Amino acid sequence: MNPRLKELYKSVILKHSKEPVNYEKREDAGEHIDAYNSLCGDRFQLYFDLEEGKIKDVSFHGYGCAISKASTSVLVKFLEGKSLGEAQVMVKEYLDSLSVEGEVIDLPEEFEAFGAARDFPGRMKCATLAWEEMADYFEKE
Amino acid sequence: MRSVIDIRRDFPIFKQHPGLAYLDSAATSHKPEAVIEGIANFYRSENSNIHRGIYDLAAQTSAKYEAVRKNVADLIGAESEKEIIYTSGTTDSINLVAHGFLAERLNPGDEVLITAMEHHANLIPWQMVCKWRGAKLRIIPLNEKGEIDMAVYKDMLSERVKMLAVVHISNSLGCINPVEEMIAEAHKFDIPVLLDGAQSITHLPVDVRSLDCDFLAFSGHKMFGPTGIGVLYGKAAYLEEMQPVRFGGDMIRLVSYEETTFAPFPQKFEAGTTNIAGVIGLGYAVDYLSNFDRVEIHKRMKELRSYALDKLADVPDIRIIGQSDHSSGIVSFMLGNVHPHDIATFLGTEQIAIRAGHHCTQPLMNLLEIPATTRASFSIYSREEEIDRLAAELKNIHSFFS
Repeated sequence: MNPRLKELYKSVILKHSKEPVNYEKREDAGEHIDAYNSLCGDRFQLYFDLEEGKIKDVSFHGYGCAISKASTSVLVKFLEGKSLGEAQVMVKEYLDSLSVEGEVIDLPEEFEAFGAARDFPGRMKCATLAWEEMADYFEKE
Repeated sequence: MRSVIDIRRDFPIFKQHPGLAYLDSAATSHKPEAVIEGIANFYRSENSNIHRGIYDLAAQTSAKYEAVRKNVADLIGAESEKEIIYTSGTTDSINLVAHGFLAERLNPGDEVLITAMEHHANLIPWQMVCKWRGAKLRIIPLNEKGEIDMAVYKDMLSERVKMLAVVHISNSLGCINPVEEMIAEAHKFDIPVLLDGAQSITHLPVDVRSLDCDFLAFSGHKMFGPTGIGVLYGKAAYLEEMQPVRFGGDMIRLVSYEETTFAPFPQKFEAGTTNIAGVIGLGYAVDYLSNFDRVEIHKRMKELRSYALDKLADVPDIRIIGQSDHSSGIVSFMLGNVHPHDIATFLGTEQIAIRAGHHCTQPLMNLLEIPATTRASFSIYSREEEIDRLAAELKNIHSFFS
């Protein structure tokens, strides 16, 4: 098996896809984001509340490949408790780190695991799907 | 049939990529040297526009363009080359029938029948026309093996049905549908039948007169030809009735500022400068395919599918999607809970080219309650050792993910 690919899937992606963070539907959530890739059919719903400008009770649910599920799970984990401003910066850093190697330094290890997706252009969207929807949400807010 | 090793020499792609296990021929076939050279030579030494040109080159190109029509007619057993319309592909062919032929015939309350396994190309055009005309699109269900439920199909036939459109070989499931019987049943109610031959044109001896289908749609690129060229066959009486949906140069008889009368078919359906090089390439592809007996190709496809089913049976947690005993060279499967795109990425790094996704049959995937499948599909150049590599790598993937 290809070592770069194993690198991409290594512990972080396998762990998050098998044991996703806060994997549950929450119809009563104040905010609801639909992340859908019509090319492959992957689709995740993100749920959270806004309390005094902070993101609370983040969860997600849906269906997708290991990479898209893990990248959404990592997003959910790191959104929790952040202010909208902090979260927007974080999402931008994550997306920048994927677009150009070495662009952003000192990222959490769980972000860097997705950097290997750069070697597989067909899979980049899986690493960014929910993150890009989040970036759009901040733009509109 | 020639040996696979010998056949592979016809396809330069395998020289460029010696390690490639290409198991994606249902998406597109590779092109033999004769087709590639034929197209290059056309541009190099024969290029000109067809019809109205009086000079030699134009006359030669026009003659060649029309000669291909005859070759295509012979390949599918059409009565006349006039029944062959050049289109951009299967999708284009079906859209032409839906809009140029069916729309006029369809009234509110009428019905159109398709099967649950249709490709989006043989679903959306009918869905659109039905919505527009207030007609109902009805879906013929499948049995547990993924085959068309013939008893239900027969019950669905009535005077209200104005069209049946059915795929010959399913691109998602690999099954060969009993289209002869379906066509005969539909004709009892005078229902015209369109056959989607995208997968079958290469792998079965498709003969429009023995099948008695009213329309046949297929693409050049799945039968060793170039992309962007396809064919619509239609029975002469229906082509007479069918209206053009694209208007412009080359499809007219007389034009004034107020009125236009159209040329007879097939010209009335070929407005503008068509894909001439595509037609020339299609001609070489038909010549190439005609070197083979498609009964033999069909046997070979069945052999490869059954070899693949044996090999895949050794992979843990494998589930074959589409269990018909009457199948061609296409195998769709699931591997435990591993998503098909993850599988495809791993296989891709080992130079094993397969397709993962809904295969443009989203409603079928919903019906089967699966998001997508992984699909291996074969052609005349496919080898058993490529299937061996697939099965071995699937075992690795399975253990990596468990």
